[in-house]
Amino acid sequence: MSLYVVEELSARIGDTVIVDTVSFAVEAGQCVALVGASGSGKSQTCLAPFGLSPAVPSGSTQLDGVELVGADAATLRAIRGRDVGFVFQHPLTALTPHLTIGAQLTESWTRSGAPTPSRADMVAALDRVALDAPEDRLDQFPHRLSGGQRQRALIAMAIAHRPKLLIADEPTSALDASLRAEIMALLDELRREHDMALLLVSHDLAAVASHADSVVMLRDGRVEESGPAADILAAPRSDYGRALVAATPKLADSAPALPETGAPLLHAENVSVSFRRPGWRRDRLQAVSGASLALAEGEALALVGGSGSGKSTLARAIARLGPLDTGTVRWRSEPLPERKRMTTHHRRLIQPVFQDPVASLDPQWRVSDIIAEPLKHLRPDLAEWGRAGAVKQLLQEVDLPADFADRFPRELSGGQAQRVAIARALAVEPEMLLLDEATSALDVLVAGRVLDLLEKLQHERDLALLFITHDLAVAKRLCHRIAVMDAGQIIEEGPTEQIITAPAHPITQKLVAAS
Amino acid sequence: MTASRISLGIVAIIALAALFVPPFLPWTHSAIDWDAVRAPLFSTGHLFGTDSVGRDLLARTLVGTRVTLAVALAAALVALVIGTAWGAIAGWIGGRTDEIMMRIVDGLYALPFMFVVILLMVVFGRNIVLVFIGIGAVEWLTMARVVRGQVIALKERPFVTAAEAAGAPANRILTGHILPNVAGVALAYLLLTVPQVVMVESFLSFLGLGVQEPLTSLGILVKEGADDMDIQPHALLIPGGVLVLIIVCLTIAGERLRDRLSQ
Amino acid sequence: MGALLFRRLLTAIPTLLGVVILSFVLMRLAPGGPFDGERALDDDTRAALDAAYGLDLPLGEQIALYVGRLIRGDFGPSLVYRDFTVSELIAQGLPVSLTIGGLALLLACALGMGGGLGAAVRAGRWQDEAIMGLATLLTALPVFVTGPLFVLIFALGLGWLPVSGWEPGSPSHLVLPVVALSLPFAGAIAKLTRAGLAKALNEDHVRTARARGLAERQVIARHALRPALVPVASYLGPAAAGLLTGAVIIETVFALPGLGRYFVQGALNRDYPLVLGVVTLYAGLIILFNLVADLIYGWLDPRMRAE
Repeated sequence: MSLYVVEELSARIGDTVIVDTVSFAVEAGQCVALVGASGSGKSQTCLAPFGLSPAVPSGSTQLDGVELVGADAATLRAIRGRDVGFVFQHPLTALTPHLTIGAQLTESWTRSGAPTPSRADMVAALDRVALDAPEDRLDQFPHRLSGGQRQRALIAMAIAHRPKLLIADEPTSALDASLRAEIMALLDELRREHDMALLLVSHDLAAVASHADSVVMLRDGRVEESGPAADILAAPRSDYGRALVAATPKLADSAPALPETGAPLLHAENVSVSFRRPGWRRDRLQAVSGASLALAEGEALALVGGSGSGKSTLARAIARLGPLDTGTVRWRSEPLPERKRMTTHHRRLIQPVFQDPVASLDPQWRVSDIIAEPLKHLRPDLAEWGRAGAVKQLLQEVDLPADFADRFPRELSGGQAQRVAIARALAVEPEMLLLDEATSALDVLVAGRVLDLLEKLQHERDLALLFITHDLAVAKRLCHRIAVMDAGQIIEEGPTEQIITAPAHPITQKLVAAS
Repeated sequence: MTASRISLGIVAIIALAALFVPPFLPWTHSAIDWDAVRAPLFSTGHLFGTDSVGRDLLARTLVGTRVTLAVALAAALVALVIGTAWGAIAGWIGGRTDEIMMRIVDGLYALPFMFVVILLMVVFGRNIVLVFIGIGAVEWLTMARVVRGQVIALKERPFVTAAEAAGAPANRILTGHILPNVAGVALAYLLLTVPQVVMVESFLSFLGLGVQEPLTSLGILVKEGADDMDIQPHALLIPGGVLVLIIVCLTIAGERLRDRLSQ
Repeated sequence: MGALLFRRLLTAIPTLLGVVILSFVLMRLAPGGPFDGERALDDDTRAALDAAYGLDLPLGEQIALYVGRLIRGDFGPSLVYRDFTVSELIAQGLPVSLTIGGLALLLACALGMGGGLGAAVRAGRWQDEAIMGLATLLTALPVFVTGPLFVLIFALGLGWLPVSGWEPGSPSHLVLPVVALSLPFAGAIAKLTRAGLAKALNEDHVRTARARGLAERQVIARHALRPALVPVASYLGPAAAGLLTGAVIIETVFALPGLGRYFVQGALNRDYPLVLGVVTLYAGLIILFNLVADLIYGWLDPRMRAE
């Protein structure tokens, strides 16, 4: 008999069915991965039976022979405290801000009826999840810890009572790439050590591949396919599965043919940016210090690095869309004027696309006005009807129906909104696009299609791209060269193939290893 | 949504009645009916009865409501204009300017502001124009804070950066992108400021520091009703009820709108 | 934390000074003086009086003199209550006002937090609707309506409690004024508590606490309540100001010998030192309450201690 058996589980919020007759089983000590695009019901499948979501479950879910669906709140509480542990997606918000790490660990520890742990016990528990300086951490409040440290602390709390089953809901997706591998490895180790079953929720097939024994793939709340992990990832049977696997770029994929590059286009030298810290103190936060980069016509350069490494700040300084302390930027060897002095001619050269597609569009404006905004200011020669024609053509180019022109941003999905943002950026026929994590807020499948679009545009329009990303595999798909940033400096730069196969800097090596 | 519509509807009915009904009443708000001092409710010619000197309470309540609402609306608009301008400038310019401007607001928040209004009334005489300028001038603080917060949040939104990249000049960004997106929240706080001002105006009138006879306001009527309540309680209950109804309805409408916009 | 308090105290000084100067200038701008009215004074007497009270000096010097005395705790003589200094009037009136205001604040917190908590744990059910409806109604009830109404019902009608007045050591005289004064604030605190808890109960860390198997009671008490009370703490400053203001009305309605009544009398009679003294004192009290709120923030959320 399996440890955890889910049979014909459904869950609904109000009248909406979120999970629809899902069945699978988890053996003791095994790792099962639930995968699928966002909104496919993976998290609800895990949380609803345990009473941790507003969704109401029906069907059957048995943990160690005990039925969860229909159990009263007290029973579920006891099971949560004794037999199962949870790790959640957002380590920054998952810990109670006003209780110390030690207090929260004690709380988890004693729920199953265990005696209050000694300090040494708790230090050992934190040490086991490789949290540095565990002795000090016990007395610290969560905000003193980094995201990775907090996730370790959360894992320590989740396994403090030695649960039979650990449910990890996207445990790494809020973390930097280099940390993801470490956390996954830790979960794997702990699973083997305690012979604990692991139910892993993820949208990241690549991460799942090396850790899970079997995979359950969900689509719109239903099981699309399931089976041993190796089989499903190597040869998915359903179209959806194939799309999902294909949409996840892998470092091992062969490099696509990239367009030819031309004469030098942009040259940024010794760029430094700092921000004033809030408050009356006068110290400044150095975001970028002395970074240089160059781009040729039609060339794509990926700027990769962890969060807070200064890649966005650098790119905005170069595009004259953000502050800049010192440094020069040349465009075809002519100096680019400073931010406040940019002329219509200069503004036409570089256009941006940002990460959050919905926040990129003014909620009060119609799509047609949004796309026409740069035309209005940067192409004064175009008459009203000329702009309307251009908008129509641009919508077509980004594969959106013409009647989208009358919509408001709230009537668009994330992918559609990002296409509108791309259309706006293309409106004045720039020579270079600044793509600031342009696909990372999108769902896997949608992101894949937006990447296809960018690839098409790159070939058709002879565009230079400055592509900011934290994902090396995505960078490989579009970019000739990669520049790696850390702590405000470019630590390594070179052709894509070289960076990926022979990284020189330890941070780059870590990044490549994690991808 | 429906609750806020009903609330606004009630306020609208009260306001329309206060504006248009008094000319059709047999008695003006200050005329004395010597034959009917302290007439009870529903007496002929005096639907709400009369007060201790024989003035028609229906006419007085309607005129008082009119004055109270007019003062409140004017003061709330003063608050809206000052607050939006101050907050938008502080948030838009940012940096040191913002810090100094908001420190001033913080400082003014620490004023026992009702006492300052009283001071103003005493110093400059009990003038109805001054009443609402004085109240508006202190009620703008919350508006300034809210608008500043909104402007700063909007300034960080990528669509503003995109507008800059699109070559939109700063004034066009402010008028085309920032202010229209602030308008909804400003309107919600305008709705919430009106009942605040109604309260303050009535408070001052109750103390005899606000609106002066022969003009009347809900605050004055409550005061007169309170003085006479052991003989005829409805003289207190009617204007008090209208006052509370206006405040409740505007508060509900404002809060609903605010909550809807902050989601 | 110490540094924060120190900074706050530093910014409090210019604020207080600003209040003093502003009020001082306003009072001096006023047409008419304290010695107008009762009977016409001849020029010599008036000059002598002005000189005695320092009213003949240039404005700047008057302010400097006043602030100098203020630092020593001397608010100067009252111009209307001629046998008293302002400090003496404050010493008489303040305890009454503080008793009423303090008790009303405690009652408002108890009723408001209790009601808000009760509504939040029954979110979406009829109890929630009822409590929140009542809270909205309470916030809309001005003390000058509830005060007389309470007198009408509980004193004149039912005869349970005294109509007005103040007798030291007689709690029954306190009940009506304190309850009437506290109700709008209880309503506001209930709304803030309810909204804060509703938000807190949806936070990730509360889900983590639930995942640990804690009982809902413990989840609320240990994990949700403190973050939920942050908005309530930030309401303390405005509430203090509102209570002091409301006390003026309450003292008028219930004929209590508090500071608010002195203030109104002083304002109507252009008693500069008295009005200035009360405004300064109240500004100080409000600043003090904001400081207390800062301390409470630090306890509620350790992240705010770092700043």
